[in-house]
Amino acid sequence: MVSQKVTVSNPTGIHARPAATLAKTAAPFKSSIILVAGEKRLQAKSVLNLMSAAIKCGTEITVECDGEDEAEALKTVVEAIESGLGE
Amino acid sequence: MEQIRVEKTASRGIVVEKVYMYLEPDLTPATGTIADDQVQAEIEKFEAAKNAVVEELGQLAEKNEIFAAHLEIANDFMLQDGVESKIKDSKSNVEQAISNTIDEFAMIFASMDDEYMKERAADVRDIGKRMMAVVKGVKLPDLGVLTEPVVVMAKDMYPSDTVKINPALVKGIVTEEGGVTSHVSIIAKSLGIPTLVGVKGILSKVDDGEYICMDAGEGIIVVKPDEDTEKEYLDKKAAYEQERARLEGLRSTPAVTKDGKRIYLCANVGNVQDIRNALPMNIDGVGLFRSEFLYMQNTHFPTEEEQFVVYKEAAELASQELTIRTLDIGGDKELSYYEFEKEENPFLGWRAIRISLDMKDMFKEQLRAILRASAFGHVRIMFPMIIAMEELKNAKALVKECMKELDERGQAYDKNIEMGMMIETPASVMLADEFAKEADFFSIGTNDLTQYILVVDRGNKKIAKMYDYFNPAVVRAIKQVIEAGHKEGIKVGMCGEMAGDQKAVELLLDLGLDEFSMSAGSIDYVREQILNRE
Repeated sequence: MVSQKVTVSNPTGIHARPAATLAKTAAPFKSSIILVAGEKRLQAKSVLNLMSAAIKCGTEITVECDGEDEAEALKTVVEAIESGLGE
Repeated sequence: MEQIRVEKTASRGIVVEKVYMYLEPDLTPATGTIADDQVQAEIEKFEAAKNAVVEELGQLAEKNEIFAAHLEIANDFMLQDGVESKIKDSKSNVEQAISNTIDEFAMIFASMDDEYMKERAADVRDIGKRMMAVVKGVKLPDLGVLTEPVVVMAKDMYPSDTVKINPALVKGIVTEEGGVTSHVSIIAKSLGIPTLVGVKGILSKVDDGEYICMDAGEGIIVVKPDEDTEKEYLDKKAAYEQERARLEGLRSTPAVTKDGKRIYLCANVGNVQDIRNALPMNIDGVGLFRSEFLYMQNTHFPTEEEQFVVYKEAAELASQELTIRTLDIGGDKELSYYEFEKEENPFLGWRAIRISLDMKDMFKEQLRAILRASAFGHVRIMFPMIIAMEELKNAKALVKECMKELDERGQAYDKNIEMGMMIETPASVMLADEFAKEADFFSIGTNDLTQYILVVDRGNKKIAKMYDYFNPAVVRAIKQVIEAGHKEGIKVGMCGEMAGDQKAVELLLDLGLDEFSMSAGSIDYVREQILNRE
């Protein structure tokens, strides 16, 4: 398993559209992709799960990827979050 | 005939049209459980429904990006898991399984603190409805088939409904549920369709095809109007539309008086969305960014980073000028996460700059955030509730301290950032000539200034008549402040209610006010007054 910390930088946090962008980014990977925010563990591939956590801008989260393409998955997901999820 | 008063206006305007009842077919899920050998068939039904909805949403998503998020939800594996496990484990029929799973997710959103996330419950239910309609083999009501102008009446409207709104035919919208931040409100506003939301019980008072009159700005609906009322509203409507068109036509004209003085027209805002809403009015900037909302709508004192992100976006949007007022809390404004001691006279108590200067670390978080944002636009810092030179000097000294800290971190900011103050206390009026030497600008806050000069509580209904910014004492104070500011060559603005009052424009121009800052809704009207001033 690989993991990396990243700070949510898009101004509105992970709400509907950014959550959809993130879920879409995560979907093609075979690895499991989990976002750890405080005590919550969220499935990055599930837009419902992401949205229901209402992660605000400025929150530091840890991305955990586990599976055959974990390195590539981690890099892609962290980059997507850093670049503001399309906002 | 019956008149109904409504408090929540989503979008202004006047309408007299036929009612189109936009009501859903019965989507109540079938009752009863299934036998073991039906499990596979029920799961297949769900998958077929899901695929149909995904295809439908895929087409909608090409036209409207809102549906991109919906498409992801419809495709969500947790939604699928939820439905399938209910079919497999609880032997629910497919309709029950969909309904319960959608309910679970919608409830998570509905129970959130955040207004925005609360409204997302409607998105989830929207998808549930689509799936249910496919499973039941019924058609959902369709605004795409309208042939004549109507007022749409609905329990609530979902994004999939609003996307079909043709503004040439949908002349008004009334919903029983929904808030002013819901999809229907946002879309109605962007399409300029008069809309009232949260009108409880309206659906039982009107029938399909009846005429109604509605003044959304005033929050009035007249059901079963008589002929005279109908005529009255048609006249009002024509006058309103003429007036709007004329005012909007003036937006491209800079606010220059007939004697050649350029006046700055700015918006008062509480967040970034307010700025976006004000931009179409061709504003010269933001004359008052109320930073307290960042603190009030939070669970903790917002950090430098959290504030920076907001101020930066605001600075980029309001590129000509963004005046950020530092925390103005206390008085009638409280924080959920900080207990203020109970005071006899909160308006004469521990508030605004007094709190900031006492809680220096907290204050410096804000100042650093503002400074960093100043690298992205023309940002000005404004201190509220100043009564003594010492306060202004101390506040400015803290800004200098923060600048040094940013230098050490190597972070950019505007080294010549303007630091001004609100004039809202009698003390600041009396000392305006002194303050003008130390402050880079003044902004007169007439709301507090009026109540402090006249000693009239603006919240007390019994003495509401005495609360009057046209009282000569207030007018003289304003005159004195503008003169004091101009003597030292600094700009004097106003950000209280008076600045947005059409009746006050001429007087304020005579007194020499440089900048008028007000809520966005008043800007068109004040611009007209300035352009017409003899």
